[in-house]
Amino acid sequence: MTRCRFQTLTAALLMWLAAASAAFPQESSTRAELDRQRREEKHRNAKPYEPNGFERAMHFVEERGLFIAGREGVYPKLGSLTTGSGFAYGAGYRDRDLFDNKGMLDVWAATSMRQYWATEARLTFPNLAHKRMLVETWASHRDYPQEDFFGIGPDSARAAQTSYAIRSDLIGGRVGVRPVPLILAAGGFEYLNPRLGTGRDERVPSIEQLFNPTAAPGLGESVDYVRSTASVEVDYRQPRNPRKGGWYRIDFSRYDDRTTGRYTFNRVDTDLRQFVGFLAGRRVIAARLFVSTSDTAAGRAMPFYAMPTLGGNDSLRGFREYRFRGPHAILTQTEYRYEIWSGLDGAFFYDAGKVANTRSDLNFKDLESDYGFGFRFNTDNAIVFRVDAGFGSRDGKHLYMVFGGIF
Amino acid sequence: MANISIWSLAAFFRHTAAAAAVCVFGLVAGPSLWSAAPAFYPDDPIWTDDDRAFDASSAGAIEDTNGYDFVVNTFGETGERRDVRALNVNTVDDVPDSSWFTNRVGRREMTVAEVVKGPDRVERLSLDGWVVSGGKSSGVQPGFRMTDPEGQLYQIEVDPPSNPELASGAEIIGTAFYHAMGYNTVEVYLADLDRAALVISERATIRDPLNGKRRPLKKLDLDAVFERAARRPDGRYRVLVSRFAPGKPLGNFRYYGTRPDDPNDIVLHEHRRELRGARVFGAWLNHDDSRGINSLDMLETGNGRGWIKHYMFDFGSILGSATIFGQRDRAGYEYIFEHRAGWLTLATLGLYVRPWMLVDYPDVPASVGKFEAQAFDPLKWKPEYPNPAFDNMRPDDAFWAARVVARFTNEMIGGVVQKAEYSDPRATQFMTQALITRRDKVLAAWLNQVCPAVDPALASDGAFTFTNAAVAARAATPAESYQLQWFRFDNATATRTPVGNRETVSSLTGRAPAALLSSGEYVGVEVTARHAQHPGWAKPAAFFFRRGPTGWTPVGVERG
Repeated sequence: MTRCRFQTLTAALLMWLAAASAAFPQESSTRAELDRQRREEKHRNAKPYEPNGFERAMHFVEERGLFIAGREGVYPKLGSLTTGSGFAYGAGYRDRDLFDNKGMLDVWAATSMRQYWATEARLTFPNLAHKRMLVETWASHRDYPQEDFFGIGPDSARAAQTSYAIRSDLIGGRVGVRPVPLILAAGGFEYLNPRLGTGRDERVPSIEQLFNPTAAPGLGESVDYVRSTASVEVDYRQPRNPRKGGWYRIDFSRYDDRTTGRYTFNRVDTDLRQFVGFLAGRRVIAARLFVSTSDTAAGRAMPFYAMPTLGGNDSLRGFREYRFRGPHAILTQTEYRYEIWSGLDGAFFYDAGKVANTRSDLNFKDLESDYGFGFRFNTDNAIVFRVDAGFGSRDGKHLYMVFGGIF
Repeated sequence: MANISIWSLAAFFRHTAAAAAVCVFGLVAGPSLWSAAPAFYPDDPIWTDDDRAFDASSAGAIEDTNGYDFVVNTFGETGERRDVRALNVNTVDDVPDSSWFTNRVGRREMTVAEVVKGPDRVERLSLDGWVVSGGKSSGVQPGFRMTDPEGQLYQIEVDPPSNPELASGAEIIGTAFYHAMGYNTVEVYLADLDRAALVISERATIRDPLNGKRRPLKKLDLDAVFERAARRPDGRYRVLVSRFAPGKPLGNFRYYGTRPDDPNDIVLHEHRRELRGARVFGAWLNHDDSRGINSLDMLETGNGRGWIKHYMFDFGSILGSATIFGQRDRAGYEYIFEHRAGWLTLATLGLYVRPWMLVDYPDVPASVGKFEAQAFDPLKWKPEYPNPAFDNMRPDDAFWAARVVARFTNEMIGGVVQKAEYSDPRATQFMTQALITRRDKVLAAWLNQVCPAVDPALASDGAFTFTNAAVAARAATPAESYQLQWFRFDNATATRTPVGNRETVSSLTGRAPAALLSSGEYVGVEVTARHAQHPGWAKPAAFFFRRGPTGWTPVGVERG
């Protein structure tokens, strides 16, 4: 009985194998037939291509997202309003092809994490007269509630930190001429009405609690200015995030006090930046010399809020923002920049500078200094984001994370 | 009763286990036994891969973006990385014609004029009567679209003011070479354009560069193009005119995987010989922009079905051109994100000097851009970021591609460079000489990694001849000797049985043992060569011959 069952089972198995063999793919007689069979099988299983989530996200970012920041029409205003404002956000509207593509209008309003806010409308004609002339005009309102003030002069103390609020309306315009593409000579006028108020930084006293108008000229005064400017600029950086070349600018401003006449002054800023690239431009020595000087007639004073300042992410990086302030200032900065990967540079820097109460003190003696290192995410034309760590100052270590570049 | 039951139960299990074993054997071994493929089919070697056989008209577009392609290839693991022979080669180690590739200069004699002509159907185009029909939708090179009086669409592109003739020259040269190599390329022409004579079609639209929305094309859009264009002294513009390929655009192909919606696409792209070998061509011509997004898939139709034709295109960023400026110093030497070099730079605080930083690029006309041949090392050449097909390239793939490069004579190279119509004769002279020098370096690098024996022939009387591709290309001096080992070949089991002793010869000839030729359908010979400077020649090249009515026919080639 068992043998019979085994024979039956074996017979069934052989029959199954015979049937199964018919179901297996038959041996192709030619290479072409073999390939055809493979394609036939894929044809049966063909299905539409489905992009994965990351692919869809990249499509969105590259085809739409990148337009958002630079888009025409309504756009998000992101970044910073001024040094120390914190990250700012808001909305804007721009139209870059006005008047047959000759004019650009940009209107925006934004507020920041530290409750700064500003709004601006700017109409620019950048390339008139075959790119030899630019004309622009603007109107803006700025409300900065907690600007730092440590006193005037090189001996100001960190412990004397205070804050003040400043609010101003500005209306102005300027005309520039480019005799050759590398040179821009410009001049213009601006009306501004800075108004001071109690500082709103709760961590430090307000300015009037530690300083009086003698120590902080302009404190307690409301003055309207007409500012006239003239400047010359030479720019032969290559590229805009420079690997070589230079950028030089001299800027003369006259602040004409239209209210009291006591705060009229002249200010001249000279900013010289030189870039020397080597090793295919992937190593760059960048150097900067900034000198600001001013003069006032007898019996007049320069208001503290219009004085040049040092300290912060773009000047003396081993110090707090606006740490030093005075009617005259000198700053030298040197950086060694090295490309790590395309789009990421490392840097070592050394900053030295001071403010001076008199022009005769505007020299290279007794400079405040710091050193440090940083990393920059960049493109050919700009630094998008950077991190700089400053050391070696008498005020300790400072870390700055900034959307935007340095000199 | 109990005893009988126990015996029966044991027997049942024993027989059942035996039956199961037979069944398992049948399942496992059956298919392989029944469908055991021979090494060579009667139609081998095939020279045409019919990858238009099945209807692919339902395939959709796959359009990768720059960022996606960079990220997945730089930080991801795209494709299958393994050391396997290219999967689309025929049995003689060549690439059959397909929708990807058509053997041209590698397989047949081409005249200089043919190579120079490339895919072009006419010698020169006139833009008279053409209208501007749209904006350019992609790429960094400024341009727009025009339509000829017959309604054919073309793309017009200009050169950067800083480097007149740069991108257009590179595109002309690249297209001619890649076409002659065997790839599908679009027609490209140089033309003179009079800005004042341009007429904008009422239906012309453009994707607004400021917000990405489509809108009517305006004169101002053309102004924006010509502001970024090199202008000739006579006020006219030299433009590159690219004819749109026929069919429906389906985006780009990838250098890995297959399209799931194309039944004809059955070979992983990273294992296609013509895509692996493109690394050699890329090195020669500094096509560092060799990536999926610089390819084009077009759906063509006919006989009631559709198939996808695969194009290489956008050669404006090869040679010394980065399209809108001269090449970067890094181009061809490093990936954009080069792990080791980057970390070394970071760890040494920038003191580590990458070799390409020291390359002394010659002072050449701006139309050439940044290009050179002296420091060029083909084996170290890299595209902008990893390419899975390039990474899978083996010495046999490189040898195949180098043999194609070897077919380009100095006259062909000179002719193709002339086609770029550089206005400065120094540019023509430099480019020609640089390409000749780079070609010779490519041949020296990749013809010598394997035994370069080629073109085997076995006469009925047993006389065996072959040639040495490296020597023929002047990429090496003759071998000190060759060793031949004959064998009988069992086509069903792919078994080689040596016949006779290993024979050493000093010439490119040998003789098969008489006993070998007296019987059997397939015979073969394994050839190795001895050369002090080229150890790769010792890797065997095996040639297989099939007996036919008129003698022995080469049917297989394998390179170690």
